[in-house]
Amino acid sequence: MDVEKLVRMANQIAVNFQYDPSKKQAVDATLDHMSRFWSPPMREQIIVHFREGETELNEIASLAVSGLAEGKRHVI
Amino acid sequence: MSTVYKHYRRATDLGTPEVTSDKDVTLTIDGKQVTVPDGTTVLRAAALDGINIPKLCASDMLEPFGSCRLCLVEIQDRKGLPASCTTVVAEGMTVTTQSPRLADVRRNVMELYISDHPLDCLTCPTNGDCELQDMAGAVGLRDVRYGYEGSNHLDTEKDSSNPYFTFDPSKCIVCSRCVRACEEVQGTFALTIDGRGFESKVVASQNQPFLDSECVSCGACVQACPTATLTENALIEKGQPEHHVITTCAYCGVGCSFRAEMKGEELTRMVPNKDGHANHGHSCVKGRFAFGYATHKDRITTPMVRESIRDPWQEVSWDEAVGFAAEKLKEIQKKYGQGAIGGITSSRCTNEETYLVQKLVRAAFGNNNVDTCARVCHSPTGYGLKSTMGESAGTQAFDSVMKADVIMLIGANPTEAHPVFASQMKRRLREGAKLIVVDPRAIDMVRSPHVEADYFLGLLPGTNVALINAMAHAVLSEGLEDEAFVRARCEEVAYRNWREFILDDENSPESMESHTGVAAEKVRQAARLFAVAPNAAIYFGLGVSEHSQGSTMVMGIANLAMATGNLGREGVGVNPLRGQNNVQGSCDMGSFPHELPGYRHISDPSVRKLFEDEWNVELLSEPGYRIPNMFDAAVSGQFKGLYVQGEDVAQSDPDTQHVEKALSSLECMIVQDLFLNETAKFAHVFLPGSSFLEKNGTFTNAERRISPVRKVMEPMAGLEDWEATQALSNAMGYPMNYSHPSEIMDEIARLTPTFSGVSFKKLDRLGSIQWPCNEQAAEGTPTMHVDEFVRGKGLFRVTPFVATDERTTSKYPLLLTTGRILSQYNVGAQTRRTENLKWHDEDVLEIHPHDAEQRGIEAGDWVGLKSRAGETVLRAVITERVQPSVVYTTFHHPFSGANVVTTDNSDWATNCPEYKVTAVQAQKVTRFSDWQEHFEKFEKEQIDLLQQAQNSSEKVVS
Ligand code: SF4
Ligand code: SF4
Ligand code: SF4
Ligand code: FES
Repeated sequence: MDVEKLVRMANQIAVNFQYDPSKKQAVDATLDHMSRFWSPPMREQIIVHFREGETELNEIASLAVSGLAEGKRHVI
Repeated sequence: MSTVYKHYRRATDLGTPEVTSDKDVTLTIDGKQVTVPDGTTVLRAAALDGINIPKLCASDMLEPFGSCRLCLVEIQDRKGLPASCTTVVAEGMTVTTQSPRLADVRRNVMELYISDHPLDCLTCPTNGDCELQDMAGAVGLRDVRYGYEGSNHLDTEKDSSNPYFTFDPSKCIVCSRCVRACEEVQGTFALTIDGRGFESKVVASQNQPFLDSECVSCGACVQACPTATLTENALIEKGQPEHHVITTCAYCGVGCSFRAEMKGEELTRMVPNKDGHANHGHSCVKGRFAFGYATHKDRITTPMVRESIRDPWQEVSWDEAVGFAAEKLKEIQKKYGQGAIGGITSSRCTNEETYLVQKLVRAAFGNNNVDTCARVCHSPTGYGLKSTMGESAGTQAFDSVMKADVIMLIGANPTEAHPVFASQMKRRLREGAKLIVVDPRAIDMVRSPHVEADYFLGLLPGTNVALINAMAHAVLSEGLEDEAFVRARCEEVAYRNWREFILDDENSPESMESHTGVAAEKVRQAARLFAVAPNAAIYFGLGVSEHSQGSTMVMGIANLAMATGNLGREGVGVNPLRGQNNVQGSCDMGSFPHELPGYRHISDPSVRKLFEDEWNVELLSEPGYRIPNMFDAAVSGQFKGLYVQGEDVAQSDPDTQHVEKALSSLECMIVQDLFLNETAKFAHVFLPGSSFLEKNGTFTNAERRISPVRKVMEPMAGLEDWEATQALSNAMGYPMNYSHPSEIMDEIARLTPTFSGVSFKKLDRLGSIQWPCNEQAAEGTPTMHVDEFVRGKGLFRVTPFVATDERTTSKYPLLLTTGRILSQYNVGAQTRRTENLKWHDEDVLEIHPHDAEQRGIEAGDWVGLKSRAGETVLRAVITERVQPSVVYTTFHHPFSGANVVTTDNSDWATNCPEYKVTAVQAQKVTRFSDWQEHFEKFEKEQIDLLQQAQNSSEKVVS
């Protein structure tokens, strides 16, 4: 899949959780959302992209994807 | 279970509408004691007891009028002969309905009517079903003393401009039932009685033909007319029906109940069912008249296959078609993996069919790649309502609106898209309820006869969240919240967080004004009106959900309703108006890739276990692809096979060129539909669908109401849709053996707590059921969240306004927003094959005079509409209905290519496309766009390939 689109989607999710009371909560909410609504190939692809380094992911999305990469899933 | 057939008879008419009262009144009618609610008329009281007083101007769909003087009665101790339709019962009243004196008066009345009425009963289309004829019989009219030579109206001309009904004024008795139906039932006020005395006659608008008048062809006047003056053309052509079956309209989410009035297997007419719980005897032009598509010559009734989309179609047997499809799908899975195929369920099909398609995907395909077209309309509604209140559904019954004091309509255009509910809403507004309209476009509800919005907040497309936050800010900052409700019913910490967020100055109406374009003071006034009302209700549509922040807006709406205590009783609530007939149902039935039926997440092992035990298969615990993800994966080569039931993604989904690219990359696409729709042009297998008249099942409307769909004719292609799915499943190697859809519903009930009390038998008994229907609510649940929210405590979610990426630039300086029109339905595959084309034969571009002038565009000019996704050409309509810098169109005709222009931007939570905001440029052009030229070529090629199949089969037959 077009990884740029996945990045855009991840960023969009993160921005919508940005006002959660703490950064951790925003990251968890983003990670949880991606686990619940993204199919595994989409998550795998964004993880690969994240591991490659260069990424347009915003801070919260980036932390969320890093959590996914560590195997974290439904955290809420 | 067999279809319930009843012999044809006209629906009972009790003369005046039902009244409800805590007090009962007992009176005596013709020596019999009768007890009725206080406020009931004598006419109705008698009818309820089986005593039929002659009447002509009265109908239980209309307020009493008292003009014909046929319903006169004698009442002890009262002078004269009062009209029973306008006389209300009183305790101890003694009424006589038949006496020589009454008979005389009634005969005189009838004599006058008949003297100016053609005596062609034997050749009249309503012969045998005419109230005037019945009354002549009932009063014993034997001779007419006035002669027919005097002046009369027998030569007046017919008006047959409306394609569905004829107005023959020579038969009119000027009872004004039609005029009152248009006012009271429909709320359009298109008819009046013009002139006085002998000269008086019924006219449409300014004495215009019906088609050119304001008439919206709802049919209420036709139904109300006691004579043959207003008659359905179908009845004139085909004659009287001989039996009828109760079924449900297959068009919009109002879910009107109808009597399908039949002659053998032929449908004569559809008449709205007075006992219908969603529509109470009303209808719109689509359900009432636009059913001709069901027998249209374009219907494909033989399964077809082909190796490539450039090959001619080959007609084959059902077995060959499903065998071919199953082989292909299995090959793909072997080559590309189990997850390389999927299915799309339809919001136009029944619950049972939808359930079966998702079962096929999960159990037979062995993945969760199933989604539904609700993805592209109301998926944010499901997400937003579930996360705040705990259930992905509207909170009220339609009838609840009759108790609302303030109605806030956001991003919905009910007079076009939910017409029967719009009529009910208008009725409530005429009774005095206040109206707030939030919409970028001045929809009809903003101002129409006898309805005017108290506040029209004409915001810029894409700023819904800014507006709802500003309203919430106004409520909280002015201390207008319902503290007691929030304390008792909602989670405290979440409320405090939300409160703090909303009260930030950033969310004030003053700060948000620059985003929304709506004056802060107006927002404050509207917010006050909403907050202080005893009952305030919110109704919303796709103008809320189809945005990059669709889900946020739904949560914003839920927050506002909770903060003002407007949930859990009649007259209030959060009410999504669903587009297609079974959007609610398709979502309920587990069509989303992450949810099993009843909105339970696929990752929940206990829920999975329930289904695994029943289905005898292991289920994957991870969500599958959503529709846009399927397309993206197809373009990148990971997704290769798709089964689409009753959907036309090639026309309805955004960014057409991307969709076309995705569909062209599939190795096997199976389309099941009535017609060779746009999507089918990319298919390898075509399974002919069955119309709603050809199958049994249920639809669930916007108020969670499950209503029966009943087979009135055999499926043209031999199989009902669920049978085709079952055959495909068996061919894939996963056995399914249902013998009737009622068995599928029984399975749904076994597996889904909110449906546990639902069965076809109960539906037959009750007529319809609003889920949840279970042990706690055996007959269903009209109002949800009464004592507590489904999730326990209501959850306020913080709703930051994030402007969409789709912004105007110097290259694309206008914002395009899209919508619907009354006479057409969705992609138009059905309504374009009916006479509804008379009202809307092409999609047009609405543009503000200022923007048009700047571009040298005049009315009727061809305008090229270009976005970063693509370009199409539409004809211009210049109107102030749209604001400057906003343009608007509809997507009912494929050639218009509205979705060539819309982009792949989508809601952050659900991927619901942002149909409502696209940055565009518009300019005058002289030729169609490249895409349109390509479309025409491709269309021609595909029609040729279809004809080749049909020609070769004709050869075989001959
Ligand atoms: S069809 Fe409906 S809108 Fe038209 S005149 Fe009759 S009642 Fe009015
Ligand atoms: S058209 Fe029919 S309903 Fe209307 S006034 Fe004439 S008879 Fe009555
Ligand atoms: S289209 Fe909607 S409003 Fe019209 S008859 Fe059908 S269900 Fe009713
Ligand atoms: S029915 Fe009562 S006056 Fe016409």
